[in-house]
Amino acid sequence: MPVRIWRTPLNIEKAKLPKAEIHIIKNQCKGCGFCIQFCPKDVLEESEEINERGVHPPKVVDESKCVLCSFCTSICPDFAIFVVEKQCEEEC
Amino acid sequence: MAEKQESESEQSGEEIRIGVYVCHCGLNIAGSVDCEEVAEFAAILPHVVICKDNRYTCSDQGQELIKSDIKEHKLNRVVVASCSPRLHEPTFRKTCEDAGLNKYLFEMANIREQCSWVHLHDRKAATEKAKDLVKMAVAKAALLQPAEEIEVPIIRKALVIGGGVAGIQAALDLADTGYKVYLVEKEPSIGGRMAQIDKTFPTMDCSICILAPKMSDVGHHPNIELLTNSEVVDVKGSIGNFHAKVLKKPRYVTDDCTACGECAEVCPVIAPNEFDIGLAIRRAVYTPFAQAVPSTYMIDMNLCLNKENIIVCDKCIKACEAQAINFEMKTETVELEVGTIIVATGADVFDPSSLPNYGYGKYPNVITSLEFERLINAGGPSGGHLIRPSDLQIPKRVAFIQCVGSRSEKSGRLYCSNVCCMNTIKDSLLIKEHWPETEIYVFYIDIRAYGKGFEDLYQRAKKEGVMFIRGLPAEIVQDRKTHNLWLTGENTLQKELYKANVDMVILSIGLEPRKDSEKIQRLLKLSRTQDGFFMEAHPKLRPVDAATGGIFFAGCAEGPKDIKDSVTQASAATARASILMAKGKVTVEAITPIFDPEKCTACGLCVKVCPYNAITLNEELKRIEIIEAACGGCGTCAAECPFGALTQNHFTDRQILAEIDAVTEHDAEKKIVAFCCNWCAYAGADFAGVSRIQYPPDVRIIRTMCSGRIAPKFIERAFARGAATVLVAGCHPGDCHYINANYHTQKRVERLRKKMEKHELDKERLQLLWASAAEGERFASKIREMHAIVEKVTPEEIERTKKAYEKALGEV
Repeated sequence: MPVRIWRTPLNIEKAKLPKAEIHIIKNQCKGCGFCIQFCPKDVLEESEEINERGVHPPKVVDESKCVLCSFCTSICPDFAIFVVEKQCEEEC
Repeated sequence: MAEKQESESEQSGEEIRIGVYVCHCGLNIAGSVDCEEVAEFAAILPHVVICKDNRYTCSDQGQELIKSDIKEHKLNRVVVASCSPRLHEPTFRKTCEDAGLNKYLFEMANIREQCSWVHLHDRKAATEKAKDLVKMAVAKAALLQPAEEIEVPIIRKALVIGGGVAGIQAALDLADTGYKVYLVEKEPSIGGRMAQIDKTFPTMDCSICILAPKMSDVGHHPNIELLTNSEVVDVKGSIGNFHAKVLKKPRYVTDDCTACGECAEVCPVIAPNEFDIGLAIRRAVYTPFAQAVPSTYMIDMNLCLNKENIIVCDKCIKACEAQAINFEMKTETVELEVGTIIVATGADVFDPSSLPNYGYGKYPNVITSLEFERLINAGGPSGGHLIRPSDLQIPKRVAFIQCVGSRSEKSGRLYCSNVCCMNTIKDSLLIKEHWPETEIYVFYIDIRAYGKGFEDLYQRAKKEGVMFIRGLPAEIVQDRKTHNLWLTGENTLQKELYKANVDMVILSIGLEPRKDSEKIQRLLKLSRTQDGFFMEAHPKLRPVDAATGGIFFAGCAEGPKDIKDSVTQASAATARASILMAKGKVTVEAITPIFDPEKCTACGLCVKVCPYNAITLNEELKRIEIIEAACGGCGTCAAECPFGALTQNHFTDRQILAEIDAVTEHDAEKKIVAFCCNWCAYAGADFAGVSRIQYPPDVRIIRTMCSGRIAPKFIERAFARGAATVLVAGCHPGDCHYINANYHTQKRVERLRKKMEKHELDKERLQLLWASAAEGERFASKIREMHAIVEKVTPEEIERTKKAYEKALGEV
């Protein structure tokens, strides 16, 4: 159905996507960069800081973009990252 | 072989007895051609034993006359000078057969579409031209040979392309008749536009409520194989035996899906839903609408987070109890063998953002009629509340603007879209039903309430207080604060300017040919009208047939129409297809090649040009072999053979040369000898006649099935006999009804033009034209252009040309 789509959907507010809370255990990271490379939403990037293991752990660029696929958790060889759903009442 | 029979019959001394019938067609022909004079002229032509003119040759009496004459005067050839053979050749062939004459002994002179109708104001020239056309037909008729047609079995299966209401109806009708049907739909679900509409006019039925049961029937019918998310990518073969290739794109959800929707609940990707024209959201795993058939969900891989075999997100997999998610699915190619094809590809809607004065795409509260349908629909994004996009409030004053993308040169669409007037009337009543206080203005050019029950609905809308104002707004301006809209224009009934302030504007957008029509056109060798919709074989008497045998139209593919007409046409197309399939076999015209093994040198040129691979070279026997059943009948092989070993049944070299000789017998230096292919150029010339487009009377058209039949020697012969100019006309490249035969035409004509240059002749005297069946004006303007060349050609130049091509006169 080739009709041009240009409007913001009227019911976009109703779409409730779970909000993510990303936890990075910085000193456990060895800087392999898998989480950054494989994140489908480009939520992470390398930080400036240097951790105990002497590497740059990742940092969160935009937490709201995270869709909680948890692929970062799955591929992290050092169990240094995990995501949980934000528990909040109203807006958060 | 037939060629030998020809000489045998001459040797056996069978006397050729031709009967000629010049038809007045009321005043259609007699109005601008002196038919009596033509008949008197024809009576003294060689082999003509009887010649009559009558008012309507195609009438029962006219046909009876021919039959009794065949018996009484022992006629063994019949020529009728009347309308186009594309119209009545089958009629008169049958007449001949009824009288015991082989139908291939009949010939027609087209003195209506290609003479009287295009030279309405020059009786003298039209009469002279008609005489020439009759002379050509008689010359050809004298050389006609009887032929037997071969029968080809028809595969009793049908392909329906497009799953809108027309395709659904066609598929169900065919399946109920007992034929296997493949229904191919591009989108994930069948239903088409009708599924998007809220209510139908004039009865105000709920659209999806009456459509959904039909959709479900399609899904469950044992005779229907439904291929959604699929596209036809290749079609080969011809009537009765089509071979189609369909690309079936993966859904990534198997048939185990129970449509519970758990996957969509958890899918983290949100996108606008195309079904709701982006007014509502969907997920990457989705079903376009609740009643979709098949109900199986699918994953939009353009949106899904999983790419290139890496499962990043497995939420849907985890949520699916039926374990129906499968990311391993691949695109499949499905090969189908079918006997008939129904084209129900539907229409697109006009995109009004190309009209900047209406502000669509810029002002949020200017919406299209299709968006309106989704807004007023209970299953739509607002749950059936008509809200305006800027502030989600219910509007109190609403304006409809008609003919947006219809009947307008500005939008480039000159035709009426047929459905918008009634759709607006229906929509205005829907608003009144829910919110009776709403003020509704309809700005229109004309209200066309032409169908059953339409006028009643129009009157009802007026009674309910809908205001109809004649005169479209020139411009819409938005109030920046309120997002209300100011419409300015002229009320042409009261001859005064108006300025109306409304909360929301609905643009009643027209229908237009689908953007991919060209693809379907090429695949199936169809023609399109100037508007871009597919062209039927005859606008009155074969309205659902394509010119290509075994292909039929249903719904908006052929032109804008409402649901009722689409359904009617679908059932008609089904009936037409069923006639073929019930018969189980089809006769193929006896226009295959005639082969003379003695002249063949086994050079293999014909093998190379045959578009159907119907000729093979037998290296051992040093000769070619022809597979008649595979032959399409274009005659390209005959044109290619340099040794005269091949010619074409019913379009033999001798017959065509006889026609050329007849044209050039007198005043050749004032004439255009035109060779036109049956499907496009000849039909285009007919269309010029039907449209009464006038052009100079110096052209004489010789019909062949394909322009690929035109051998260089025909063109040379015309020049050798002093013709002023020659035109070769065929289908546009890519549209050839014989796959690619017209590419050879192009090569041959280009080569000849180069040769003319070498001879220091004006190469512009040989012209090549591509004109489709709908391009009457294009054909006419070419003739006008060539008329100027005819006037310019000097007698010396003609003499030099005659000399240069002297050799061509030797051809028998």
